[in-house]
Amino acid sequence: MRAGVRHAVMCALVLLMIYPLIWMVVSSFKPGNLVLSEPGLVPSEVTFQNYRDGWDALDEPFSLFFANSLFVSVGSIVGNLVSCSLAAYALARLEFRGRRLYFAITLVSVMLPLHVLVVPQYIFFSQLGMVNTYFPLLLPKFLATDAFFTFLMVQFIRTIPRELDAAAWVDGAGSFRIFWSIILPLMTPALVTSAIFTFIWTWNDFFTPLIYLTSTEMFTVPVALNSMMSSETSSGVGALFAMSLLSLLPVLVFFVTAQKYLIRGISTTGLK
Amino acid sequence: MNPVNRRRFLQLVGVGALGAAGTTALAACGGASDGTEIRYAWWGDTIRQQKYGAALDAFIEQNPGVEVRPEFADYDAFQERITVQTAGRDVPDVFWIPSPQVLSYQDAGLYRRLDDIPSLDLSAFSAQQLDSYKIDGELNTLPRSVLTAAVRYNQTFLDEAGAQLPADDPQGWTWDGLSEFLIDYARNAPAGRKAIHYNAQADLCFEAWLRQHGRDLWTADGRMGFDAATLAEWFEWWEVLRRAGATTSLSEQEGASPEWEVVGDKVLMTFGNSNHIADEAPMFPDYEFGLRAVPVLPDAAPGHRFGYLSRIAVYQGIDDDKLDAAGRLVHFNLNDPAFLRIVGLSVGAPANPRMLKEAYEVANEDEKKMLAVVEQEMAQEQKPRYEAPPGSGTWRTIMARGVEEVALERAGVADAAARVIADIDHELGRAS
Amino acid sequence: MTQGTLVRPAAETPPPRPARRRTPSFRRQGRAAHVFLLPFLLGLVLITAVPLLASLYLSFTDYDLLHDPELIGPENFRRMVSDERFWASVGVTLRYVLVSVPLQLAFALLLAVVLDKGMRGLALYRSAFYLPSLLGSSVAVAILWRQLFGHEGLVNGVLAWFGVVGESWLQNPDTALSTLVVLNVWTFGSPMIIFLAGLRQIPEELYEAARVDGAGRVRQFWSVTVPLLTPIVFFNLVLQTIGAFQAFTQAHIISGGQGGPLDSTLFYTLYLYQQGFQSFNMGYASAMAWVLLLVIGVVTAGHFLLSRYWVFYGDER
Repeated sequence: MRAGVRHAVMCALVLLMIYPLIWMVVSSFKPGNLVLSEPGLVPSEVTFQNYRDGWDALDEPFSLFFANSLFVSVGSIVGNLVSCSLAAYALARLEFRGRRLYFAITLVSVMLPLHVLVVPQYIFFSQLGMVNTYFPLLLPKFLATDAFFTFLMVQFIRTIPRELDAAAWVDGAGSFRIFWSIILPLMTPALVTSAIFTFIWTWNDFFTPLIYLTSTEMFTVPVALNSMMSSETSSGVGALFAMSLLSLLPVLVFFVTAQKYLIRGISTTGLK
Repeated sequence: MNPVNRRRFLQLVGVGALGAAGTTALAACGGASDGTEIRYAWWGDTIRQQKYGAALDAFIEQNPGVEVRPEFADYDAFQERITVQTAGRDVPDVFWIPSPQVLSYQDAGLYRRLDDIPSLDLSAFSAQQLDSYKIDGELNTLPRSVLTAAVRYNQTFLDEAGAQLPADDPQGWTWDGLSEFLIDYARNAPAGRKAIHYNAQADLCFEAWLRQHGRDLWTADGRMGFDAATLAEWFEWWEVLRRAGATTSLSEQEGASPEWEVVGDKVLMTFGNSNHIADEAPMFPDYEFGLRAVPVLPDAAPGHRFGYLSRIAVYQGIDDDKLDAAGRLVHFNLNDPAFLRIVGLSVGAPANPRMLKEAYEVANEDEKKMLAVVEQEMAQEQKPRYEAPPGSGTWRTIMARGVEEVALERAGVADAAARVIADIDHELGRAS
Repeated sequence: MTQGTLVRPAAETPPPRPARRRTPSFRRQGRAAHVFLLPFLLGLVLITAVPLLASLYLSFTDYDLLHDPELIGPENFRRMVSDERFWASVGVTLRYVLVSVPLQLAFALLLAVVLDKGMRGLALYRSAFYLPSLLGSSVAVAILWRQLFGHEGLVNGVLAWFGVVGESWLQNPDTALSTLVVLNVWTFGSPMIIFLAGLRQIPEELYEAARVDGAGRVRQFWSVTVPLLTPIVFFNLVLQTIGAFQAFTQAHIISGGQGGPLDSTLFYTLYLYQQGFQSFNMGYASAMAWVLLLVIGVVTAGHFLLSRYWVFYGDER
């Protein structure tokens, strides 16, 4: 009985939360001129035209932008997971001079608004001849510049009881060994979380790809979407909705898959 | 003062770059082609992008060995990107110039002179025209198109109401006459219909108003050409309509600069640029639209007519071996009928007289209305028009705030106008 | 066990705690640490530090992006004092931080705890609640929000049933900011996921131990879940606060980059962006960025200082 009530409450809440999305889905199947003028959830006419139009809206088919975004996102995940977990372990567990300083700089770099770093970074990458390549998007991830994740992982590592690795020290394990076989498995939830966020944020990032990726065939999905919504004419809202929704699918699939691993944490890897 | 020269600054920032030079090899791939590659930057929506893509394909076919790399984005994104590129001195070879930045870019030395490029044929323009395009005495930009201030009305709505616009002659087509007509229309309009949407933001129409009052938007020396009193009168013209219930409220139209899609079926009339009809009329295919020049004061200052030139330029720092191809690309944009047939007229009427004739061949019904309005405007006597000076980049934002203050009744027209003037003046002062 | 004392989870695992400095030699760890930190340090120097310092330098210059920067001393900072829009943006941002961060975190924590265990269809709910965050900063949100809060939007539609005639919530300077708070709360998925991951990190053994001690579910929540989750609460608090101070994208999208109506959604970073990229005052924008950095720094330092009193780490006492 109580469970029933709880489900009812949750369902209501879910509906409230995703109503706007449902409306968007429905609208994307309405003919172009009805998208905004017909407010209800029941379309008077159903068409796939928006999806066809959106798919071919730019010079290149949208599949290319999906492939580009996927490449950048997956590359970013690999980069962030490797570089941030290494740094986080050192910052959270190892004793060395400068630890607090590094940690402080990490935080400072989260605090400065991106927009004032854009120009110096652009100059840096353009001097390296990296404009219109994916390097400006990927290189920073492999160098642990996403301080959010370093900080996140530090916080997670710090919830792991120190007794665990202390025991391994006593058994003569080196720090890499401890990182690899004790800390890393124990921080699976943090890694999964980082992977999810990296994927979503990279997938949705607009400003950086806009600045660095100038050719249409290099575009990621958000840059392509943005060029569909011109501030001059606002035409093609239906196609924009259709492509926005399609662009949600990979993230959703990734999220649904990845969140399963959130359940496996310490509870299954054991604390014996 | 201690100006650090640009190169030094670039070097400072690039210190790390030298350290990591090894990675350059990695980045060197991509964009490999044997011929000359031209970077061409423009803005617009996807429809325009497709048309220009097709046009560039035709261009490449005409010019073997030349590759064009488009750098295309929406209007705001375009400006963000080209600004960063300018800071990094990594500017596209050929680019469009957004209206508020014409003189900022000039000031930054982005434009290369265009009258010494053999592959760019300027013979279609008259000497007088070419002279009027010059900035600081140098021909370094050319107009892709001409836009004029225009009033667009919904003929279908007029017919439904059995109404007629004031006659299109100096006695009938005045600001006062239009105002009365709109108020009268709104009084008898069906529920949910207004006469006009509140658009004191329409910059070309405002400029037309100023010129008729003997003022300018900008002066030759890069200042504001109008004062608070003239601006207050402009606000007041709109306020009379709003108070009489003839305009949509900012709430109904979702902001001071509404999208046509939101208001198109709610209002009889809109103020805007002549070219908007090409993109906006098709949004409401059930309606027929008409286009006219803005109303004229009974005692309007002579030479008040004007057209806004939407310009294209070649980057000052372009490689010499690309110049010929860049010239051909500009030539193709300005002079080639094949180009016009592919891209159509959404950017406005061609400035080139030869192309304008050609334009009638490719124009649809709505675009023909635009061409007629522009041609009529441009045929009349015009005193010079000065481009937006450095520091004017945000004047439209400031203006929007003034419009909001007035229309939301947070300030009287005089106070709001005074504040707009002070704010724009402040921005200009800082840039000079 | 006496009422009200926390069950210190670490106390349940008996091995003697090695003293901090007794772990194998400091120097060996130092060397290892720098191996681990190699990518981080490279990134720090190449990608973070140089632009960071460049922007610090620029904050003392007049830099219009088109010409060379020119040193003008602390002029930019002086200008802020008398800049009305600057202060308007400070007001908007502070209100936003103070309202939206607690609301979003409370919402996220509540749902994370509810969703953590003991419900069927958990994965489904979790994904559903996360959906809005996926949409996040897409340009489509602008249209979506107009459809909800606009003049003819859903909210006014619902109000009309009750005979209330509503104006556009987005175009009213008194309500526009609230719609952005709603948007922020709506996308509560990120902190929720972090909370969930944190909850997953809590060893089941501790709950068992608490049950052995006779703690009920409420007691378990307060004596195991809450203390062990504090580092994650802390993380979310610190970063969501920083994020709220830097809020940009959503206001940029919904107000078309203007921060209107009447500067009512002119977030600090939005104004900074306008100054940098629209007015071409990158020097002033950089100065604003460093002021923001200082403010966030102070607030964050405050968070860290206070954290001693309420954040519990498994690796220390």
